Amino acid sequence: MKSFLLLLPVAVILVAQTPLVAQTPAAAPKKAVIQKAALTQTNFKESGSPSAPITVELYTDYECPACREFYLSTLPLLTNDFVKTGKVRLLHRDYPLPQHQFTKLATRYANAAGQIGKYDVVAHQIFESQPDWDQNGNIDVQVAKVLSPAEMEKVRNLVKTDSNLDDSVAKDQAMGAQDRLNQTPTLVIVYKGKRETIGGLLSYTILKSYLDKKLEQ
Amino acid sequence: MRRWLNIAARLILAAIFLVAAYAKIKEPWLQFAVSIDSFKLVPEKYLEPMAIWLPRCELALGIALLSGIAVRWFGLIATLLLATFVGAAARAYAMGLTPDCGCFGAGGGDMLGPKWFAEHGAMVLLGLAVSFGGFAAERAPKPAPELVPVGD
Repeated sequence: MKSFLLLLPVAVILVAQTPLVAQTPAAAPKKAVIQKAALTQTNFKESGSPSAPITVELYTDYECPACREFYLSTLPLLTNDFVKTGKVRLLHRDYPLPQHQFTKLATRYANAAGQIGKYDVVAHQIFESQPDWDQNGNIDVQVAKVLSPAEMEKVRNLVKTDSNLDDSVAKDQAMGAQDRLNQTPTLVIVYKGKRETIGGLLSYTILKSYLDKKLEQ
Repeated sequence: MRRWLNIAARLILAAIFLVAAYAKIKEPWLQFAVSIDSFKLVPEKYLEPMAIWLPRCELALGIALLSGIAVRWFGLIATLLLATFVGAAARAYAMGLTPDCGCFGAGGGDMLGPKWFAEHGAMVLLGLAVSFGGFAAERAPKPAPELVPVGD
């Protein structure tokens, strides 16, 4: 009986962490929790000045080779020339494609890392190591290379247990459907309230020229 | 009968060019530049002017074909343009590239393959038919002018 009483607090903690219990409270607090989670999840995907004249929304799939090429070659230049200078606000959007086996897991790792403030470093690592994990799905090993053991433990827990981790992905996919996405990577350039969807792998030179012309208008 | 076939072929060709031009012009030129770039044929510095002007040239060609003026020459230009396009696509296909043709705007499902080559090969033949039809009509003997007696 004594051992049962000792186990009781542990059982309560375990049950409290399951999604079933998290969903049981009244509707209003639940909504607030989800909204808060979604807000936290999307904030780390944004960079640049909120008052930048152009917003670039970048839809990627972690298992798509063209997205990897864009992320590693074009994005650093875009960030340096336009995001850091306050001309462009950058927003990452997840668009996991159904034909890719491990992309959803990769997305969970990136978003879990975002929850602990390590989105950029982990997203970069996932793309960079894509050829290493896209056959076996061992993303964990790759992510562990760029995080401390304590951080990695937090990320693993979130990947395993956080039921809200995919909320922002669902929102991004819904937005992608509105933007009529048919491939990744896709950029949506938002300027003066108008959304322009540009699908495919674009070179930085041509993207720069396009953005410069928009800024001159 | 032959005359009507020539007219039908010309109108179909004009429609193809007008639809292709409209689909590209309504999109940002950056999208067509991405499509051109995916062929890995055009140097980067020419992507922008090409993405801006090629759809306008297609529009002009479509209007010219629709008007029926100098059909043989505009038919020939259309054929050459289409043949160049098919040649560039064949090169990309042989290189193992899978460019987005972007012929009728982005997301038109225009991925290169046997179907694409069959369709565009048929367009080249259509262009040739329009051009040769125009040349043949030009060479056809014209009816002699009616003689009017002088002094009537």
